[in-house]
Amino acid sequence: MLLPHFAVRKLASTPASALGGTIVLMFLLLALFGPLIAPYGLNEQLYDEARQPPSAAHWFGTDHLGRDVFSRVVLGTRDVLALAGLGTLLAVLSGASLGLLSGYLGGWFDEILMRFFDSLLALPAMLLALLLLGTLGPSASSILLVIAVVYTPIVARVARSVVLAVKSKAYVEAARIQGESLARILFREILPAVLPALAVEASLRFSYAIFLVASLGFLGVGVQPPSPNWGLMVSEARQHVSQLPWMMVYPAGAIALLVIGVNLLADGLKRVIMGNDYL
Amino acid sequence: MSELPVLRIEGLTVAYRSSKGWLEATRQVSLEVGAGETVGLVGESGSGKSTLALAVMGYLPNGRIQSGRIRFRGQDLLALRREEMRQLWGRQIGLVPQDPLSALNPSLRIGEQLGEGLRLHLGLNKADAAARALRLLEMVHVPDPPRVATSYPHQLSGGMQQRVMIAMAFGLEPALLILDEPTTNLDVTTQAAVLALLEELIAQRQTAVLYVTHNLGVVARICNRVAVLYAGELLETAFTTDLYRQPLHPYTRGLLDSVPQVGQRHASAPLQTIPGQIPSLGNRPDGCVFVPRCALATEKCHTERPLLHTPTPTRTSRCHFWQELVASKEWGGTSEAPVVNGQFPISNPQAPISNSSSPLLRLTDVSVTFRKRGWRKGVRAVHEVSLTTARGETLGLVGESGSGKTTLARAIIGLTPRSSGEIELLQLRLPPALSARSRAMRRYVQYVFQNPEEALNPAITIGETLQRPFVTLQGLSRQEAQAAALSLLQAVRLPPEYAQRLPGQLSGGEKQRVAIARAFATNPDLLIADEAVSALDVSVQAAILNLLYELQREHENALLFISHDLAVVGYLADRIAVMVDGQLMEIAPAETLFTPPHHPYTAVLLSAIPNPNPQAQQAPISLADEVGRGASTAIGCPFQGRCPRSLGVLCQTQRPPWRELPGNKRVFCHLPVEEL
Amino acid sequence: MFTQLCTRSRGLLVSGLFLLLLLVACGSTSESNTTSPQTGDEGARRGTLRVAMQPIVNADPIAISSDSEVLVANHVYDYLVDIDPQSNPIPRLATAWQISADGRQYTFTLAQGVTWHDGSSFSAADVIWTFNRLRNTAGTPTADLYANIASVTATGDLEVTFTLQNPNPFFLYDLSDNHALILKNGTTDASSSFNGTGPFKVVSYAPEDRIILQANDAYFIPGQPKLAGLEIIFFNEDNAAVDALRGGQIDLAMRMSSSLFETLKNEPGIIAIDVPTNGFDLVRLRADRAPGNDPRVIQALRLATDRQAIFNVVQQGYGAIGNDTPIGPLYAAYHDPTIQPPARDVAAARALLAAAGYDASNPLRLTLHTPDTGNRPNLAVVLKQQWEEAGAQITVSVEPESVYYGDDGWLEVDLGITGWGSRPYPQFYLDVMLISGAQWNEAHFANAEFDALARTAGTTLNEQERIAAYRDIQRLLVERGPVIIPYYFAQFAAIRETFSGFELKAFAGRTDFRNVSYVGP
Repeated sequence: MLLPHFAVRKLASTPASALGGTIVLMFLLLALFGPLIAPYGLNEQLYDEARQPPSAAHWFGTDHLGRDVFSRVVLGTRDVLALAGLGTLLAVLSGASLGLLSGYLGGWFDEILMRFFDSLLALPAMLLALLLLGTLGPSASSILLVIAVVYTPIVARVARSVVLAVKSKAYVEAARIQGESLARILFREILPAVLPALAVEASLRFSYAIFLVASLGFLGVGVQPPSPNWGLMVSEARQHVSQLPWMMVYPAGAIALLVIGVNLLADGLKRVIMGNDYL
Repeated sequence: MSELPVLRIEGLTVAYRSSKGWLEATRQVSLEVGAGETVGLVGESGSGKSTLALAVMGYLPNGRIQSGRIRFRGQDLLALRREEMRQLWGRQIGLVPQDPLSALNPSLRIGEQLGEGLRLHLGLNKADAAARALRLLEMVHVPDPPRVATSYPHQLSGGMQQRVMIAMAFGLEPALLILDEPTTNLDVTTQAAVLALLEELIAQRQTAVLYVTHNLGVVARICNRVAVLYAGELLETAFTTDLYRQPLHPYTRGLLDSVPQVGQRHASAPLQTIPGQIPSLGNRPDGCVFVPRCALATEKCHTERPLLHTPTPTRTSRCHFWQELVASKEWGGTSEAPVVNGQFPISNPQAPISNSSSPLLRLTDVSVTFRKRGWRKGVRAVHEVSLTTARGETLGLVGESGSGKTTLARAIIGLTPRSSGEIELLQLRLPPALSARSRAMRRYVQYVFQNPEEALNPAITIGETLQRPFVTLQGLSRQEAQAAALSLLQAVRLPPEYAQRLPGQLSGGEKQRVAIARAFATNPDLLIADEAVSALDVSVQAAILNLLYELQREHENALLFISHDLAVVGYLADRIAVMVDGQLMEIAPAETLFTPPHHPYTAVLLSAIPNPNPQAQQAPISLADEVGRGASTAIGCPFQGRCPRSLGVLCQTQRPPWRELPGNKRVFCHLPVEEL
Repeated sequence: MFTQLCTRSRGLLVSGLFLLLLLVACGSTSESNTTSPQTGDEGARRGTLRVAMQPIVNADPIAISSDSEVLVANHVYDYLVDIDPQSNPIPRLATAWQISADGRQYTFTLAQGVTWHDGSSFSAADVIWTFNRLRNTAGTPTADLYANIASVTATGDLEVTFTLQNPNPFFLYDLSDNHALILKNGTTDASSSFNGTGPFKVVSYAPEDRIILQANDAYFIPGQPKLAGLEIIFFNEDNAAVDALRGGQIDLAMRMSSSLFETLKNEPGIIAIDVPTNGFDLVRLRADRAPGNDPRVIQALRLATDRQAIFNVVQQGYGAIGNDTPIGPLYAAYHDPTIQPPARDVAAARALLAAAGYDASNPLRLTLHTPDTGNRPNLAVVLKQQWEEAGAQITVSVEPESVYYGDDGWLEVDLGITGWGSRPYPQFYLDVMLISGAQWNEAHFANAEFDALARTAGTTLNEQERIAAYRDIQRLLVERGPVIIPYYFAQFAAIRETFSGFELKAFAGRTDFRNVSYVGP
């Protein structure tokens, strides 16, 4: 939608981004068709087959309660992608809106908002997330909100920096002279110029959000067993790691693979959109 | 020219890699530059002149030389190894680029930078190099060379930086010098000084110079010979005087016709325009490259590529019909017109100057002060300017960069709120800020921006851009606005299918037409055109100027036309206001501004403009102190620091009076009327 | 990676690596040589037992609570009456006792030749001072526990008599309460003096690091202790302690998950021991409001629970299968193995739920709250699966202990899993957890019949009557109780095989090292 074909072709032509794209596509398919692919339910306990190493029957082995690890990893994809994706979307929407407004209006509004964002950014993302989850109470919707709140300042800063460069352009001033409304100036005149940077930032934020979702799952905040959240799976696997290493290896590997995939894609996107010199 | 030319380009074809394969940027270009000769390489953007210069410098990162030779003193440059090339570079071949700041190392003092080259190429020791550097700075007439030598590049003005570049280039006494638009970014007065310096140095050292520029005035001023490049092809070469007297290619002729000369007015001598635009590299016509824009084109021109004819031993033309051009009377008329002091005769002194009862626009003591963070005192961009203009009148506003003319315009439209003073339009007081102005007030005043590339939103179609003012300011419905937008396109001579296009698919001139169309959408009473043509190529500029003139005639709006180019302003304006450092220096009818008596600044300005007529004997009045700029204070005359006729303490401490001069002139000067 | 380095044969690097390995090897050997020093003088006593325990916070017996605190105190001080691994009261400082017919007077004969670590001798005055301190210090658990004591008097130099206000059949157990370690009369610095009569004397105590003890040569029981020294090394992580055991830095670890225990079972040189306890995870449904006020609901959940599967996967087969009463098999005298909850029957469970008004269109929806410790989250996930097979819809909510035991936590929620530790006698559970209005009656259970039975069991001096009452209670709980107890915990320990005589207790802190001896080289 943001990318013309030539950009897609260019992305596909660099091996790294092609690999990243393939990985991301694979996980997207898993998220979409997970229930069809997974041979077992996410909490289906096969009491007689507990603690089995990977085999033909259980590709990734079974966990301490007799659940099929492969099924759980597959079914967990949707959880991670949906939370990270929607959270990122929220962050991009609110960050872009606030960044546009702040950059365009300037003055005290900009000053106060940016100071506030600075103070948010001064906190490590994880700490901020935990603080928020502590106040909001753990649930999927609060995780969405947390991702949005944690990444809104960063997205807003990116959007704002582009707005600052664009707002003094003649076409924006022309729109002001023509008496266009604030909303139209922001979203019709300025936003298109911000979109490429937003697309790059969104893809980067997405990879961080995946990691954040997994980390929160690992800490057990905001997700409840028997959720197949990969982070939670890794956390549950900790006390069994010496006996049942496959319980940890596969969900941890899934996190790593997806994050790497998204990152490779984000890098490629950055190259295509911003040009080679950007890095 | 029996001896070996310093530079000899033989049939050079340079191509760039693109998605459609290799595209030729220059095609079989041959050119010679002899010692002591200055050859102007003239062309509009996209003509290939920069490619040619880069090829000589051996720097074509995305391109390759497909055929041809470049010989320096007989030596084939293309056959040289990198190391040998580097030896030649700087020592034998020098370069003065367009943007000196990007060529100077920002972290090295000027003296060190100059000395570095001397040490590298001449093997001087540190002390000798430093001494030599100082002498070079003296050579380029830098005031206070020791101070400049210890300055960093950003501490110097643009003109000073360019002088340093020139010193650097001449310092090694190269045999060949490439000047790539060296004065394009400079103000007229500074340009005049730099050109004078170049002239002096070239004459002294007998350097061979390849001077790349788009400015025909500069060429006329400094070059012995001219090569006209168009769409990668050399269309004409000739001695400068011959070329200006009788161009032997329709393009050259169109080019000369489309540049207004100082004092030329639309009312008396409308500019000829070249229709269309320069073709892109991939879309070159099969026959003559100029054929789509040529009025003389025949069937032959479409199919057959013209040879480079040699009408006389010293000139060439790539036109099938050069003989017809020789015979053409039309051109001869203008070239033989009596030129008085490099100025056009006043042909129509009783041009209509609107003297209606109440002025359309009245500025009273308008000041604009920018508050900068951490500065106790604001920066005064416009200071107590009072002006009026009437319906149907074109008021020209002239000044160098930083003179405050754009700020004044922005204060009128409200983009930059004024700090004090009154602006009345149709006897209605306009609030300082745009946001405080009513819909009606916005409709009254419209604006055309300088850079057409930025004037249109690249993400919005032309149609939508043109509909918006109808919707927002006129309250039309979608359908009505659509229809109105189409008629606007027609009004600016653009085909209706352009409504669906995005700005990226339009040329610069077309974009500016759209921008003008948008401004006329609300049928404004006042149109402000801020450097509306200065970013355009000359062949396009004339068409836009004529369009503005015609539309204004049609709508009877007042036009505030702002430019740094006195000739362009003079072409359109009924009255002209001259600004220096935020203050008005002179207001005069266009007919009388160009004839004495002048305000001293106007006189300097007029003398500085390079006239595209090599026969005009120009002697630029040099400014007292180029560095004195910006040193003016609120008290006294803003120009006194640079004024060649400053009266000293009086000018420094007393604000000058407004003096009435014959011919409806008003000047802001201490000098008595009879001395001006 | 090592072979890779070798084949690349960067000679210098390889030899360097070998040197490094050699140094490491030497280091560990020399360390293990010093770990089991022998005390030359005392022929019988030799060896030091190094025990991994979590750090201690309190050293004053009146304030101790954790395993490690009790373990330290139990070896520095002595109890008046001790409890054996089978939960029977046995003599310690008291060598014998007599109970009056009305059950209100207990007279204890004290051991002879007992001296304090500071050399002074032990007498009845010390016992009296200690128990007066325990029952008179407000705000301590023992102030409540001993509120029933009317007086403590010396009836001889080495004889003490306790007079109770009301008879208490479990008074001997109460006297063996974890805090009831005998201090010297007039001790003012109980948290740092470590002046006990116990089998070991404190040599040094480095908080957060370790506490080093040496055998008390003047211990009043001949032949005890058999070790020359005892070292309690503090570990915060069970994993780290087990690793230390494997690596030879410690000799005994007593806290670990069943997974960790499993890994130690095949470890050469280490003996893994597990004993059943009466500790359990209690799943309870609030009985005072919907849905738990309909007894069919808890009964349906009982029917839907697969205890054997839970025992297998959650407990990995350690401990014992539960039968929904706190009177577990450890209390051999009271536990009736014939009283069992019904076998799993999903269809019957579904039918019961339907009868209670819950079907597919209106499923029973419950949130199962559990603290995030032990096996409780696993139990919750397994119960979710099993109960959902019967048509219930369960949401698991794993909470930090601070939340679970917080104000709106375990005493308020409808459905929760609470862990209960092992106690020497069962009456405790009934009194605090199940009688009407009990302090920790988390199920809000109120049953007059049960209350009467519990009162009888808690006060009668007739053992047969008590046994009968406990039997009725077990029957009542299985039929109508608000709780499901799916399993009883096991207590785990792993000890180096160079030690013998180790007997693990259900409450690890009360494990006694007096009879442990070093049998290694």
